[in-house]
Amino acid sequence: MSALARLHRPATVEEAVRLLAGGDGERTRLLAGGATLVAMLNAGLVDPAELVSLAAVDELRGIGTLPDGGLRIGAMTRHRETAADVRLAGTLAVLREAAARIANPVVRNMGTIGGSISFADPAADYPPALVAADAAVEIAGPQGRRRVPAREFFVDWYATALGPNEMVTAILLAPRAPGLGSYDKLYRVAGDYAIVSVALSVAWRDGACARAGLAVGGCGPRPLHLDEADELLRAGRLGAQAARRAGELLAAAADPLDDVRASAAYRRRVIPRMVERALAAARDELSRTA
Amino acid sequence: MNPKLHSVLTINGERRDVLAPASATLLDALRSVLGLTGTKRGCNHGVCGACTVLLDGKLARACLTLAADVGERAVVTIEGIGGNGGLSPVQRALVEHGAIQCGFCTPGVVIALSELFARDPRPDRGAIRGALSGNLCRCSGYAKIVEAAERLAGEAR
Ligand SMILES: Cc1cc2nc3c(=O)[nH]c(=O)nc-3n(C[C@H](O)[C@H](O)[C@H](O)COP(=O)(O)OP(=O)(O)OC[C@H]3O[C@@H](n4cnc5c(N)ncnc54)[C@H](O)[C@@H]3O)c2cc1C
Ligand code: FES
Ligand code: FES
Repeated sequence: MSALARLHRPATVEEAVRLLAGGDGERTRLLAGGATLVAMLNAGLVDPAELVSLAAVDELRGIGTLPDGGLRIGAMTRHRETAADVRLAGTLAVLREAAARIANPVVRNMGTIGGSISFADPAADYPPALVAADAAVEIAGPQGRRRVPAREFFVDWYATALGPNEMVTAILLAPRAPGLGSYDKLYRVAGDYAIVSVALSVAWRDGACARAGLAVGGCGPRPLHLDEADELLRAGRLGAQAARRAGELLAAAADPLDDVRASAAYRRRVIPRMVERALAAARDELSRTA
Repeated sequence: MNPKLHSVLTINGERRDVLAPASATLLDALRSVLGLTGTKRGCNHGVCGACTVLLDGKLARACLTLAADVGERAVVTIEGIGGNGGLSPVQRALVEHGAIQCGFCTPGVVIALSELFARDPRPDRGAIRGALSGNLCRCSGYAKIVEAAERLAGEAR
């Protein structure tokens, strides 16, 4: 039987952090949409004494435009809202496409971006998309706010840069640049977690590649990303040869597991093919639009 | 340990008092406290869709929602979808098209389709299949369910 005794519903981030800090360490947990936490509670996999629900914290809701033209996605923003936001275009479209590929309409209406990245399932869809887009994560804690690049936020299997009594408040995105973003996901059935996924964000100006970000999901403890592969793609203007080389580098750096979805060997084989496919689609799109 | 919490929930338009353990889900509250057993428990972890309800008109899994976290959101369950005890157009379409076998998945399917038709009275096959993608039918009666929804969409055309 669950030991859960209290559910707090604070109205501000500061109050939520205070409740976390005043609680009994791991026995006090944040509750976002509940899509993972309540399932774990039902199965007896977690046994918190207190929950701090973020449902009533206004600041965490929705997607806003920043003074510099960038976007701020509040931690409690549902996947469904992110999947529908037309401001996530150009280089930022990778995030919208990733959101649209999560699970099914009901889960997309419950799950939040803050809950997803804090849980940091390596097969989840947002982590590689945020790494490809070079987003930042805004964190609040007893010492105030800080920012961590998404590329440093995911540190290990189900582990993030969040310290004790810290929480995610938002995802910060630099203003979108012309170009494209794409997210491709290989799965057993639609709506399942990824076997392998490929997230791509490309800034394209005057027929040249200004920036490329490529990340692979489902193939190790954290999203797989190599500066060297990004640079190859940029310098090679996303060409077929650069794509092949980038795919090989990523496959060699991957650290996948055998699991219920696929073997590690299968994943390693698939990575270069999926990378090449993503880049071929990108070249195609750019030749039509740029 | 495990004291009961009191919440006041708005369910199918009525204010209802719920006294349940803090760990009780909305599904527990509906079925075990309020006796509203139309909402089904299949997997209890978000996968099957049998427990799907509407919260402020939006889809939610009752098994993944804590009763004490529902707050002011209005809950609509299968018992409230028809209004006045009658059948809704979605329910009538499923019945008339023989889209029900054992019926266990049906409440969740009705809720998912009701949300779809509220947004889009004339969904095409792709939209219907997308809207049903979070609902498993153990009897595998998908073809009839999709056809019933297509017929309802056709009537609106
Ligand atoms: C059936 C099903 C299928 C799914 N399929 C996919 C899929 O294909 N791809 C995919 O990417 N995901 C998938 N998910 C995951 C889902 O999309 C959610 O992102 C995930 O469950 C997190 O849910 P939540 O936001 O409701 O967070 P919760 O379940 O409420 O919380 C998750 C964890 O994060 C912590 N937390 C929550 N918010 C914060 C915060 N702001 N700061 C710090 N910690 C926080 C909680 O304490 C908890 O430990 C699936 C889930 C289900 C139930
Ligand atoms: S019982 Fe809730 S989704 Fe299966
Ligand atoms: S009719 Fe039996 S589960 Fe769908």
